[in-house]
Amino acid sequence: MSSKTENHYNSKIADKVANDVLKSVNIGWSFKIWFAVLVVALGVCVYSYSIQLREGLGVTGLRDYVSWGLYIATFVFFVAASLIGMLISGVLGLIGYDWIKPIGRIAEIIAVAFAAIAGLVIVSDMGRPDRLPYVFMYGRFQSPILWDVTVVTTYFILSGLLYYVTLIPDLAIAKDKLEGRPKLLRKAYEIMSIRWIHSNEQYRMLYRIIRILLILIIPTAFAIHTVTSWLFAVTPRPGWDSTIFGPYFLSGAFVAGAAAVVIAMFFFRNSYKLQDYLTKSHFDKMGKLLVLVSIVYLYFNINEFLVPGYKLKKFDLIHLEALFAGKHAITFWFTQIAGLILPIILLMFKPFRKPLPMTIISVFVLVGAFLKRYLIVVPTQEHPYLPVQHVPEIFHVYFPTWNEIAITSGSLILVIMIITLLSKLFPVIPIWEVAHDMEKKAEKQKIENE
Amino acid sequence: MKIIITISIIILGFFYTQAQTEGEWIVPEEEAALLSPFEFTADDVKAGEELYLLNCKSCHGDPGKGNYIALQPPPGDITTDKIQHNSDGAIYHKLKTGRGPMPAFENVLTPNQKWQVIAYIRSFNDDYVQKVAVEIPETAFGGKIDVLVNYMKDENKLQASFIGHKDDETQPIVGAEVHAFAKRKFGKLTLDQVRKTDDKGLVAFNLPDDLPGDSSGYVQLSLGLVNMELYGEINKDKSLAFGVPTYLPPLNEERAMWNVRMKAPIWLLITYHGALLTVFGIIFYILLQLRNIYLEGKKNEED
Ligand code: HEC
Repeated sequence: MSSKTENHYNSKIADKVANDVLKSVNIGWSFKIWFAVLVVALGVCVYSYSIQLREGLGVTGLRDYVSWGLYIATFVFFVAASLIGMLISGVLGLIGYDWIKPIGRIAEIIAVAFAAIAGLVIVSDMGRPDRLPYVFMYGRFQSPILWDVTVVTTYFILSGLLYYVTLIPDLAIAKDKLEGRPKLLRKAYEIMSIRWIHSNEQYRMLYRIIRILLILIIPTAFAIHTVTSWLFAVTPRPGWDSTIFGPYFLSGAFVAGAAAVVIAMFFFRNSYKLQDYLTKSHFDKMGKLLVLVSIVYLYFNINEFLVPGYKLKKFDLIHLEALFAGKHAITFWFTQIAGLILPIILLMFKPFRKPLPMTIISVFVLVGAFLKRYLIVVPTQEHPYLPVQHVPEIFHVYFPTWNEIAITSGSLILVIMIITLLSKLFPVIPIWEVAHDMEKKAEKQKIENE
Repeated sequence: MKIIITISIIILGFFYTQAQTEGEWIVPEEEAALLSPFEFTADDVKAGEELYLLNCKSCHGDPGKGNYIALQPPPGDITTDKIQHNSDGAIYHKLKTGRGPMPAFENVLTPNQKWQVIAYIRSFNDDYVQKVAVEIPETAFGGKIDVLVNYMKDENKLQASFIGHKDDETQPIVGAEVHAFAKRKFGKLTLDQVRKTDDKGLVAFNLPDDLPGDSSGYVQLSLGLVNMELYGEINKDKSLAFGVPTYLPPLNEERAMWNVRMKAPIWLLITYHGALLTVFGIIFYILLQLRNIYLEGKKNEED
């Protein structure tokens, strides 16, 4: 067997990596407490949802004017955040950047978690969730909503597959190194590693699968966020009626996702003691990536506001006024300045690309990204083309109710739960890929020394 | 002193503008005194109910339930005093002219229909005793009026004659105003202009040559005397082939983005299902490959 494996798998280096990485795969006290907190918090949110289920959407701030609110904004945000899996593994991986390898799995975890819950967020926006099957039974192929359901589901499946497939060699490596872990977990490793023996033939097949998935996931990821943007852009409302909504959403998604990855990297690096694998250099490079995608996004922002702002058609004026100087101005300028422009400027300087400062900046970027989705979805609905006569005052303003906020928090808690579980039960750093890289480097060193 | 005057003027002005939009709806005295030319019967009430459901219920709600919609000023429930305190003539006038959000029904309902709606409204008032107009006020002609319509194809004109008959005597209706309409999908389109009958009781209308008709070019016409108070309801409907033959398929007949699921455009169905099949075909291929990995491992372990 050993003769077959020497190209891909050096057990000594892999052993060290596996020992480091598998330290975090255990169910200790801190994990149990953390998870208990999540469960209790989720319980409150589920209770809120039960109220909404009983009383209907009247318990939300949604009314005839603003019928898409916090839920839809959250949905768009989740879809956006999940896109990073494609950018890091797909685009950068295919180009051949080796430095992304230790980060790839973290990006995939984020992709899977957000994509899985995005669909659920939509269900929370339904007054009659029991009619969900109707979407599949009677959905019209002409409706972007059906396309969206299709592509989000597909992307979730592809991300899940990509996550699992790259995990297989690690499961095989780890399955004998799990003394003291629950029996069930070891059994799961055994089954999920589908008799992986590190043979050349298996690696050949695995590489092919990964390649196909990486290629396939790029158009799918483009599709999910482009179609999500079409949910808005195919209507003639000011602020939505835009031909660049697809790329605008896509570039914004990379910003949100890159920030989410940085935060997750920081967290895993410190609590799982992975300083050797998620190095300062990784943060530095992620910082540069974040600057790049932010600049692209800023460019689309300028397009999106300057062009209607120059023509200033009547209803665009009302919309832009609400954003620039009206009741949404503070949120708007926060997202643009603290969430976009300042991060770009700061991250151009090396000291800010160190782990801690960069994580703080990323939190601002992520919060900004969320608020930006809210600003895209809500304000324009407050000024419809055809106002209702003598409409009650509350229809004009939308503010999420506590119920809505709790239910939305519930979906975020679910995302965190999935990330926690995946990162606790399985290695967060791809052992085999990292070991393979280290081995290549060691060999190069040896040749140079001789 | 000056200040007091100024303030009073401002306050008065304020009330005046208020009164114009929301104050009492004043009906001219002679209009308010108008009475129905016929006695309300159960049939009239029934016809009125249908008209009410069609034209009024959307705002005034179900009679007696007070569920009229929140407009400013409020429409009110027809069973309540707000509406019942009006004289028959006052209701007739308000229906005819409308005010603010209340539409004018002058051209929507015929006088008879207006009286029928009033008959329906009064059917909710037990204290109501109807007073009928003693006779139709000064009729220009007491007998029956016959209308004959004739299409003059060469000149593309419509000619009509209005001849009155009374006790074996015939007499042209002279100098009466006549209007002509073409029936369209939503309402009536006025043709030409109001014209007066000549001394032979004849009148002619110019017809447009580009009016879309049905698939054979037929257009539904309606011709009548304007002054119904004077002559009663004298109308003639006729279908004439002077329009441009038009066949417009209904918008939902062919495959289109806006149509139902079964009528989705072909290109869309191909794109959607093609993409879906491709992706899931590849996913299936990947699952097969995973199976191969498994078989490979199993084979090696057995060796
Ligand atoms: C678009 C809504 C609407 C429709 C349709 C409508 N109404 Fe009205 N109606 C109103 C409003 C609003 C008022 C009050 C107007 C005012 O006081 O200026 C009103 C007033 C009236 C009044 C006078 C009430 C008074 O204070 O004296 C009568 C009578 C009336 N409507 C009858 C009818 C009838 C009969 C119909 C159907 C043929 C009808 N309305 C259809 C909205 C409507």
